[in-house]
Amino acid sequence: MAYRVLIVDDSPAMRAFVRRVISMSGFEMSSCFEASNGGEALELLRSEWVDAILTDINMPEMDGPEFLRRLSEDELLRSIPAIVISTDSTSHRIASMTSLGARGYIAKPFLPETLRSELERTLGVPCD
Amino acid sequence: MFFAETLGEAPDASPEAADDIAVELAFEGEAPGVMYLRLTATAAREIAADFLGIEAAEISGTRVSEVVRELANMICGSVLSRVESAVVFRLGVPRIAASPGELPEASWHTPYCVQLSNGRITVDIVTGTNPCP
Repeated sequence: MAYRVLIVDDSPAMRAFVRRVISMSGFEMSSCFEASNGGEALELLRSEWVDAILTDINMPEMDGPEFLRRLSEDELLRSIPAIVISTDSTSHRIASMTSLGARGYIAKPFLPETLRSELERTLGVPCD
Repeated sequence: MFFAETLGEAPDASPEAADDIAVELAFEGEAPGVMYLRLTATAAREIAADFLGIEAAEISGTRVSEVVRELANMICGSVLSRVESAVVFRLGVPRIAASPGELPEASWHTPYCVQLSNGRITVDIVTGTNPCP
């Protein structure tokens, strides 16, 4: 099965990088969507269904915490697993984002296999 | 994640070149401060090309700047996550200096310099000053 993934990050370079690393990792992705902040992501999710979301924390207009809050308040969207990708790997931040609904957390820098295993874990993909 | 071969710590920071790329990144936290990052032009271009998976000759200056800003975020966030693991910190927006000489002289007083196969990266973190705007 191939999955539809949404990357939310205000850095075009980081979005391109995450997309590239997903491909390098061997994770089966059928479609990849991009948004530069939480508001744009919510707008996109009105018309496109995705299986997983990868989101940054610090973004203009609507940041990661607010985006996660809005997702968790939406009856339809709350089932989509969201994984935070951030340079901030403090235990306080991880706990904070988890309490807002993040199902996974990846600290930058990361390896392709880390991204793949976190995506597969949150999606419940059986191990090989 | 960034595909650059490191050759170890350089003995000291070399004089800046006119085409070096310098970035300033302020942060708030228990010990607020500023991180300064300087890369030789070749290192910046090749790291950016590797990061994005394109040829160095094809990459634009804008894309190089985007990747260098992301590199600054990652280095600063990684250091602060280790040093301030029990507290919350906030990174500002990385700012590319118009020229390396634009950054204050004091920013390079305790630099950590790494030699790469294709250039050099110099990092300096100054705490206790210049919190995020």
